[in-house]
This record gives sequence, structure tokens and C-alpha cells, in this order.
Amino acid sequence: MPALEVKDLATTFHTDDGLVKAVSGVSFSLDQGKTLGVVGESGSGKSVTFLTVMGLVDPRHAQVSGSVLLNGEEMLGASQARLRQIRGATIGMIFQDPMTSLNPVKTIGWQLEEAVLIHQDVTRKEARRQAIEILKEVEIPRSDQRVDDYPHQFSGGMRQRVMIAMALINNPEVLIADEPTTALDVTTQAQILRLMGRLQQEHQMAIVMVTHDLGVVAELANDVIVMYGGKVVEQANVDDLFARPEMPYTWGLLGSLPRLNAEGSRLEQIPGQPPSLLNPPRGCPFNPRCAFVMDVCRTDLPELRRSDNGEEHYFRCHLDDETRTRTWEAKHAALVSKDAAA
Amino acid sequence: MRRKQLLSMFMLVLGVSLLVAAMTVGAASSATQKAGKTGAAKGGTLKLNESSEDFDYVDPQIAYRTDDWSMLNVTAMPLVGFPEKSGVAGTQLYPIGATSFPTVSKDGKTYTFKIRPGMKFSDGSPVTAAAYQRAIERVLSPKMGSPVGVNIHLQDEIVGGAAFLSGKSAHISGVSAKGQVLTVHLTSPNATFVTQMGMQWFTATKPNTPYSSQGLNTFPSAGPYYISSRDPGRSTVLKRNPYYKGSRPANPDEIVFTPNVDPDQSLLQVKAGQADLDIVGNVPTSSADLAKTYGVNKGRFWVGASSCVEYMSMNTSRPPFNNLALRKAANWAIDRPAQVRLLGAFGGQRTDQLLVPGIPGYKPYNVYALKGADVAKAKQVGGSAIASAATINFVHTTSAVSTNRAQIAEYNLKQAGFHVTDVPTPATTFYQVVGAKDTTYNFTSNGGWCADYFDPYDYLNVLFDGRTIQANNNVFYTYFNNATWNSQIDKAALLSGAARASAYAKLDQELMVKYAPVVPYVVVTEHFLTAARVHNWIYSTYFGDPYYNALTVG
Amino acid sequence: MTQFLIRRLFWAVFLFFVATIITYLIFWVIPADPAALAAGKAASPADILRVRHFLHLDRPIWEQYYYFVQNLVVHRSLGMSFVNRESVDSIIGKDAPVTASLVFGGAVFWLSLSIPVGILSALRPRSILDRITMTFVLIGISAHPVWIGLILSFLFGYKLHLTPIAGYCNFIPGSPGAQCEGPVQWAYHMILPWITFMILFAALYVRLVRANVMETMSEDYVRTARAKGASERRVMVHHVLRNSMLPVVTILGMDLGLALGGAIFTETIFNLPGLGREVISAYNADDLPVITGVVVFSTICVIIFNLIVDVTYGFLDPRIRPS
Repeated sequence: MPALEVKDLATTFHTDDGLVKAVSGVSFSLDQGKTLGVVGESGSGKSVTFLTVMGLVDPRHAQVSGSVLLNGEEMLGASQARLRQIRGATIGMIFQDPMTSLNPVKTIGWQLEEAVLIHQDVTRKEARRQAIEILKEVEIPRSDQRVDDYPHQFSGGMRQRVMIAMALINNPEVLIADEPTTALDVTTQAQILRLMGRLQQEHQMAIVMVTHDLGVVAELANDVIVMYGGKVVEQANVDDLFARPEMPYTWGLLGSLPRLNAEGSRLEQIPGQPPSLLNPPRGCPFNPRCAFVMDVCRTDLPELRRSDNGEEHYFRCHLDDETRTRTWEAKHAALVSKDAAA
Repeated sequence: MRRKQLLSMFMLVLGVSLLVAAMTVGAASSATQKAGKTGAAKGGTLKLNESSEDFDYVDPQIAYRTDDWSMLNVTAMPLVGFPEKSGVAGTQLYPIGATSFPTVSKDGKTYTFKIRPGMKFSDGSPVTAAAYQRAIERVLSPKMGSPVGVNIHLQDEIVGGAAFLSGKSAHISGVSAKGQVLTVHLTSPNATFVTQMGMQWFTATKPNTPYSSQGLNTFPSAGPYYISSRDPGRSTVLKRNPYYKGSRPANPDEIVFTPNVDPDQSLLQVKAGQADLDIVGNVPTSSADLAKTYGVNKGRFWVGASSCVEYMSMNTSRPPFNNLALRKAANWAIDRPAQVRLLGAFGGQRTDQLLVPGIPGYKPYNVYALKGADVAKAKQVGGSAIASAATINFVHTTSAVSTNRAQIAEYNLKQAGFHVTDVPTPATTFYQVVGAKDTTYNFTSNGGWCADYFDPYDYLNVLFDGRTIQANNNVFYTYFNNATWNSQIDKAALLSGAARASAYAKLDQELMVKYAPVVPYVVVTEHFLTAARVHNWIYSTYFGDPYYNALTVG
Repeated sequence: MTQFLIRRLFWAVFLFFVATIITYLIFWVIPADPAALAAGKAASPADILRVRHFLHLDRPIWEQYYYFVQNLVVHRSLGMSFVNRESVDSIIGKDAPVTASLVFGGAVFWLSLSIPVGILSALRPRSILDRITMTFVLIGISAHPVWIGLILSFLFGYKLHLTPIAGYCNFIPGSPGAQCEGPVQWAYHMILPWITFMILFAALYVRLVRANVMETMSEDYVRTARAKGASERRVMVHHVLRNSMLPVVTILGMDLGLALGGAIFTETIFNLPGLGREVISAYNADDLPVITGVVVFSTICVIIFNLIVDVTYGFLDPRIRPS
């Protein structure tokens, strides 16, 4: 049984300006000890997807459909009380900005203890012991003293370690990391990612790594979902995706990946802006920015179809197989030659 | 979530119920107050408001405002004074602290008062002639810095007054007290002196009362009441003097003055019976409604003339108003009823003379147009001089009332053919502008006079004696100085009784007919609302207030 | 902490000089002559000169200011009133408690009203409660206290006989001449003034609380708390409220300090003998020492309350705790 299984998830918000279809048709399954990478630009719906999974979208403003199974238990439609039991215990979440994600007027010890006390029937003393323990585990030096410090006394990387500690303190089976390294400098990013890798091995957690950084995905993930305009546009095993991406947006993402051995050359970028969710383009959401756009792209949304390259490899694109193969191979060759030239 | 809301709702309900509880307590206590009412004529507490102001001083030798005086009158034991009676009877001076009017020496310079024996201060000590000597000395002492004595030039009237005022002598040589006999030597004969002695300033004052430039707040007094406590800005409380044995009324047990009340709130309080009277009067805009509801002088709403006359002044020392014809023309041109209407219903009575009703010598004349502007007559009287007259420099202060008044007056003057320049001047500089002898102003719509003492001298001699003109700080802006007139008023001042009254009546008319330095237009009217429980209303034109000691409550 | 206090103290002294010098300068610019007023309506120039000398008004303005400062520093005295020659110290000493009972009583009312209502509004934006609240806020902010005061007096005092129309009773009994005294009468007479004084502030604070709570609820750390599995109640109490009350504390401190300088309209309407009414009568009488006294007192109040806010804030918010 997968640790987390999502089927056909859709989230729609009611706003003053009308309905916003933030996410639709998201399905995946994630096994114990595995990592799912979720890639996309801001506004692609990746954060909303996992706030929905956590049950953190406001039910007064959002309409949710589909199914979220956590260890086989349906989360959508579960009572608030049950959701509260699960959140922070079975499933933990880390957020993007460690500078704002901690309560500034409480010590980090208090905030860690709170997480313990909500889910475990233990004394405050025991909760404090656990807090110091987990701080040690996330490699915060002098954790028995720093436990009484306030968030503003920590650096950004240290705060993200605290956030991780807080998510892990109740030993969750699933950890959702929503862009955990985006706000950090490169050195710290690497440290945090290494830490997460180590902790995953030790705790045998399933991790969802939401990111816009394909590099992070390449390093950590087993499977990848590429999201665009609130839809899954490509979904595959990480090797398959990097070896043979099937649609123009993913090509663009790969092209914009910085390469260590390509100093001086300009990064490719995808022209245009991500689509407005309030007023999405007809047809394929990527069509306004797509270099290979055809008439059909402007009218019909391509089905999520299976690729012949790799098991369980899905994508959305109207381009026929031959064109895609030819185009990718040309693009790939260019990328490789650029590498070689350097 | 639910519990949070419940908690908040609970706090809200708690707040509201606290409020309701506090109000119920209040309602209950006011209910018991109502139940405690009795119908006694004597006794009780008279609750008086004083809207928007407070007494500046309550020390009788410093206090200089008419509201101070009507309060101090209740505590005072002057040598002579006015009886607590309405109408003409109330304007007849009679001896109070003295056994009779003073005996005057043949040369008219020495006045001898016999002090009534057996009178006592509120602390039980006896009233002797020394008490009146002390009063005069406190009025003039340099240690007091009091404005009152110098205002009537008392230092020049009494022998040794000037030396005492400048600190050269410890006592006034012209005033001596022996037992119950007070002797005052004057520098020259002065028929006004007795009336002046009727002022609150000269009330019996304990001989050991200290000199104090700050003024005393409480002190023993010999009148029907004494000030039992005073908290400036908060309250002044008068209690009946247990040692007072005279015949003046002393009806309430206690008289409480609450100052600085908002005028609208004060009116509400009187209507609701939470206060008995606002001594400043009701809000002018409410008079018409009050008259409709309660009638005029029929038990609740009271209207009475004051001693205050308002007039517009012309600068007689420079063109164009050095020309008598033009001054007369202005007197015909001004629309008096329009000016009175500005004061609101019951705001005043139109007039064209200086003396006010009730003053000895007052006789209504009809020299000019009382019913409205008479443009034709103005043009006829002024003749061609109006057209050739220089443009009038019309100065007025900038309050709303002043500006309205000036606009109407300017319109009237223009109607008659004058050229007018409007010069609005803030009150702070106004007096410097018009008070300087070499001023360039020609006409001002600001000005008026209330009696210091209830005698025609205080109007005709004080306001129009050109020999008193100073270089600066003049309070009379006509700069009128006529030798004939001066000798006439000097002569009238020496007269007394009926001769005095008829002499001043003649002068009052002559001033406006022969000289016309001012345009009198209104005798200000006081208007008051009393609470339902207040009775025995006796009004004093001199004070412009009722006699508080005569009022009854309950 | 010591350095912090010393810096504050310097700032306070500076503020004191700025405020008093401005007051003196304004009086110097306005062509008023308090001596002429004090001397009486028919005073001769010599009389006015005498009074002017007596009041030091014949000295240049900087010398008058020097006398004022000297008097304050050496004799700890604010001088005496031009009008009735009463000591300004004792005037302020008597007035301050009245204004304090209005301001602090009003503050209790407006806080206990605006905090729960503001929170409820924030929890349910666009609900009927929220819409009604926001309507009242608009009225409360727009309506002048004089109007509110007169309407309340007319309604509750005159028509319904539930409250006095105006007037003040001392909280502590025993002052001579008092017509009413004691806590019950005091509170009974203060009900309408409190409400009048409260309405504007309640409106402002409802809006403030509502905005702060809404803003705090969208903070990342609130989401973190929810992700931990915290109940809504726990989220509100431990994460939203304390953080959203921080700006309220600052503004409350400033408002209290300012309001102590004189709640002019409410005091005038309800005849409360406090600083506000005092400064109005002093202004009408060109009574510079009293005006300066109230200015000095308000300045001190503002400084003290800002200090209290700073210190309290340090306790409430670890980020700015002086270490």
C-alpha cells in the first residue's frame, strides 16, 4: 500500500472575481521511503495541491474533489478533528520561507514542544527532551541552550532546520517539503538537502519535494511530476524524465537548468509569463508560450497520455510522436554540444 | 472556534450588563431624590450653573465681573445698597450696613457713616467701622494689584488715596474708623460717592483680612451668606450666615455654583430639574421656543433689561465724523431693529440714548429712528457733506456676531451715501487700533457699556469726559472732548436727588441731539430659564441677574 | 537597558524644550496682551504696565521663557495663572485625575468592546456581524464627539432620566463643596462621558484589531501551526492574538498619552473639570502659564507612555527586546 495516494485531485477557489480552478486532475502515488519531486513555476498549482492534501485550504473558500489516501485512509471529507490528529503526526509539512514560518514571539523550544504536546500525551518536560533531541538530529549545535532562543536569533538555514525538526518531531510517515531551499543560499541549500536525504533514510519517510528547481529533483527524487497552469503536464520516473522528456514545457525547464561546466553561456529561458488561473487560455495552458504551437493547441486540452519511453511515463502534448522525437533529439544534441564545447 | 466566539460574546454581554447595571443604580438614586422633594419655601440647595465661564475672583476687593458681583452681593454687607425688590423700588438706594445715609460736611468733602451696631461676620466677630476702612484699603492697596479701585479713580477721590496706592503710606490718610463711625475725606465734593460705596468692593471686610494679590477664596462675610468653599473651575458653595440678623432674604440653605457648563447641556439640566438656573442665561437661540413653551415672565422663562447699552462709536477727532451733521446722519442711517434681531429673540430693546431703563434720570426720548433706518432723513441731515466725505475706515472685530453686525451697519451707511472700507480686525489687536489717540479709524460697530455702579454718572461722565483721553489704551473710542459738555457734566455730578435725575435726563438727550458721538442701538436683555421648583424671582437690572438669596426652591 | 533609558531620557528632555518653546513662540506671535485682560476693562496704561511688570510680561520672550524654565527647575513650579493667580501645579494636580478617569475608564470600555468585536469581525469577514460592525465603525469615526455627547445627554439624561445630563463627582470623597462624591456617583456621572469618549476610539480600534487579526491569520507561522495539527482555538490564542495585539499596544500607548493631554470635547460637553476644559478656558483668557503647564504635562504623559510602550513591547516581542 502506498504511503500517499492522490487520485484526480481538483481544487477550485471562490474569489470576488469568480471561480479559480487552481488545480485539477492530479494523480500520483508515493511509497514509503520514496521521494516525489513536484516541479513547476509559481502559480502552477503545486503548492495548492499539497495544501489540499494537508487539508489546509479554507473549506469556506475552496471546493475540493478527488481522493487523497494517506496509508489507505481517505483524507478528503475527513472530520477536522481527524485531520488535526493526522497533521503533524502522520504527515508533516515544511514551508518555503523559514524567516516567516516560525512564530516570532515564542521560543523555538515552545514551538517544538507544542508540536509534541498536540499529538502525544506526555509531560512538558518530556516534550522538551524530545525537542532538544530532534534539534540535535537536525544538527543544530548546543541544542540544549538554543532551544530557549527565539526564531530571530537563528540564521535562515538554521531556521529551516528547526522547521524540519518540527515537521519530523512526531515521526511522520509522509513529509511534504514545499520549496524548502528556495529562500536559502546555495551552500545552505546543499546542506539542507543532504540533511533531508539522511533523515529520510533513517526514518524511512515518503517525501514530497515541491520545487521549481530540477537540480533538486535530480538529486533527491524517484518520481517527478511537472505541473503547469494547475495541471500535471508530465509525470515519470526521474531517469526517464531526464532521459526523454516528452513535451515542450519540460524541454524548456531542462534547457533552463544551469550547468556547472557551461560557464559564460546564457541560460535558456521560457519566454512569456505563467498563465493566469483566473482567466486561463483555452486549450493547452502552455500554448501562448509554446514554440511548437498548433491550431489544435488553442482549442483542445491534450489528454494525459502514456509515453512509450519508460514505464508509467505520462505527458500532455498534441505534437505527434515523430515530431517530438525529432525535436527533442535536436534540442538534446544542442545541449550536449554546449556541454562539450565548454 | 466556537468557544472563542462564545468567549468574545460573553465579554461583550458582560460589558453591556455592567453598563446597564450602572445606569440602574443611577436611575434608582435619582428616583429617591425625586421622592425626597418637599414644598418648603425656605431651605434647600439652590443649584446654579454658570455656562462656559467661572468667577475670575471671589475676593470682593478684586472681583471685577458682573457675574462675580451678583454672587458677592449675596454675601455682602455694604454701607448702602439696592433692596431685593422688582422694578423702580429696586433701584432706590437705601442704607444697609450704615444706620442711615451719611452726613456730609458743608464743603461736601467729608462723609460720615454710622455703622449699624450688633452686626456680625459669619465667624461671629462684630462688624465695626474698621471693617469698611479695611475694604477701601484692600481696594487700593499696592499689595493687592486690584483693578477695581483704579478703574473708578478712587485714589484721586479720597484724600491720601494716591499716596497709599503708590506705597508711600501704610494707610489712607482720608479714611478713619472709630468704633462704629467711619469718616471719609474727599479731595473734592462728589455726589456720586455714596452710590459708589454701594458696590460690592466696599463690603464689610474683617479688619485682619490679609492683603493678597491672588485673592481670597473663602473669608468671613457679614451679608446673608458666606462662601463656605470655593474650588476654582469646579464649584463655589455659599452657606447661610448664622449670625446675619438683617431683613434681607436668605431663603436657600445653600447656594451652589457650578461653572464652565456647556450652554446646551446647562439648558437641558435646568429643563430636567437637575439644575435650577444658569446665571449666564439661556442659549439665545432657545429663547423663542422657551417663550412659546413657558410664556414670558410667567414662572419659568424670565426676560429683563440689563444695565448694558451697546453703541457704535465714531471718531470725532478726525474727518469725516468731526462733522456733527454726518454723525447725526449716521444715527438716522443705522437700522436699529435689524441690529436687535441679530441678538435673537428677547436679545434686547432698541434704543437711541445712553442711559438705560431704571437708572435715575432715564427718560425715553425718540431723537432718532427706532423703527428702522430712515435713509431719506439721513441724507437730508447729512446733506452734501455725505457725498464729499472721505471714505469711512470701518473697523470691527472678526467674530461671527461682530462681522454680521458690521455688515448690516456698513450697508446702512452706504445706503445713506457714505463710502465705506471694511477693516476686519482680530479682537487681540482691535483695542490697540481703536484705543490709541492718534488712531485712523472712523467708525466701529463694536462697543458697549455696563454700569459699574447704578448711577448716570457712570455713563455720561465716565464715557464722555474728554479730559480723560490718554495716548493709548482708551476704552472710549469717540475722542469726544467738548468744554461746554465737560462743565455741564461736572455740575450735574454735584447734584443729588431729583435735581440730579432731571439734570442727567437733560444731558442724556443733549448728548445725542447736540453732539451725537455714538450710535446707541440696543439695551441688552437678559433671559433665563428656571427649574420648575424655583419661585420668588426678583430681578436686578443693575446686576442683570436675579437676587439669588431671594429665590426659593422646593 | 541603561543605555536605552538614557537615550529615552535625552529624547524626553529634547521633546520638552521643543514643545514649550513652540508654545511660547505661538504666544509671542499672537498679539495678545494678557496684562490688559488681567488689569481690567478701564485700566490706565500705568496700571497695565504695573500688571505687566508683575507678570514679567515686560521682559523679552526669551527672558520670559528663561524665567519659566528656571522656575520649573529650581522651584519645581509651573508658575501661576495670569487669570486667577492660582498655582498651575495645583490646577494640573486637580485636573489630571479627572482626565485620567475619563481616559482610562474610556480605554477599558473601548478595549473590552473593540477587541472581541474586532476579532469576531476578522474571523468572519463579510458576515452580517462584520458588516454591521463596519457600519458602526464608519459612524463612530465620522460623528463628532460634541454631537454624540449632546445626543446621548438628551436621550439618556433628559428623555429617559437614566443618567445625569452633565457634571462630575470626585471618586475620593471629602473635598469641600462637592455636591456628590464616592465611587458609585463617580461612575454614574462618568457613564455618558466614557461612552462619548469611547466611540471614536472603539471605532478606530475595531478597525485596527480586525485588520491586524486578519493580517496575522495569513502569516506563514499560522499556517505552520495548523500544519502541526493545532486546533483553531490554539491557533487563535497562541499564534494569532499575541502577534496581532503588538501594534495595538503601541497605538494604545500613544493614544493614552495624547488623550491625557486633554479630552477637550468630552470634558467641555459633560462639564468635567479636567485638563482639556482647563486648556480651553486658559486659551480664551490668554492664560499662558496654564496653557504651558498643560503642554508640559501632556508632553510628559506622551513621553512616559511611549516609554511604557517601549518597555512593554520588549516583553511582548522578543525581536526588539533590549539585551
